[in-house]
Amino acid sequence: MELSEEENSHIYGAAANPLGHGHNYIVEVAIAGEPDPVTGMILDLKHLKEILEEKVLSVYDHRLLNREVAPFDRIVPTVENIAIDIWNRLERQIDSTGRARLYSVRVHETNELFVEYRGEV
Amino acid sequence: MTVRLARRYGFSASHRLHSPALSDTKNRALYGKCNNPHGHGHNYEVELMVRGSVDAVTGRAIDLAALDRLAEEQILAPFRWRNLNEEVEAFRREVPTTENLAAEVDRRLRAIWDDRFGPSGPRLERVSIWETERNICQVSDYE
Repeated sequence: MELSEEENSHIYGAAANPLGHGHNYIVEVAIAGEPDPVTGMILDLKHLKEILEEKVLSVYDHRLLNREVAPFDRIVPTVENIAIDIWNRLERQIDSTGRARLYSVRVHETNELFVEYRGEV
Repeated sequence: MTVRLARRYGFSASHRLHSPALSDTKNRALYGKCNNPHGHGHNYEVELMVRGSVDAVTGRAIDLAALDRLAEEQILAPFRWRNLNEEVEAFRREVPTTENLAAEVDRRLRAIWDDRFGPSGPRLERVSIWETERNICQVSDYE
């Protein structure tokens, strides 16, 4: 299903500007798990930082999401869809480390709006 | 796919914490500075957390403009620059603590929620109110 220009501007308002617009997004990733009895950690934060850099930040940062980051060539880069996409990029990476699992991905689009995804269908 | 979306609004209002069921001395002891007979103000922040499934066409979990209109109508316009004790009906009976304020915001939104978003639409999952950066009260639908 495709929406007309008019429907788009009605639904998205200023965010439908054909020339696009930018945000300083903030991503918050929550990990759940039992702490390792030796290290006292559920996940080495250095490792988490590397995963975030490689799988998310280097892919998204300073890009035109609609053109340069899949799947946003096909789906609308709302903050809802961005949270889901980041979850999909991270889930297996974090699972593979053992104790920790991805609990939630929160994406703040502005100070007044964020979306959280916990992998629910 | 189900997501949670949180939207934040701000308003300024004044109040006085004073329970008619207690003596003046007990009120002063209980509420301290907040019992000042002349009242005092806060820059409140309200966060509405909504749970909904993402529409495959629009990529949205809720119509944000409709949520903003509802918040403006039910909370911001009636509370903004008001003396809560005197000018908001609920607080003629209840003390306008952050707890009661969060419950009142929750009641106001739920009373009209399904009319606006439909019974199978997004749900209001949690109302949070910041009275100050250090004093936050939440009301959730699953408790």
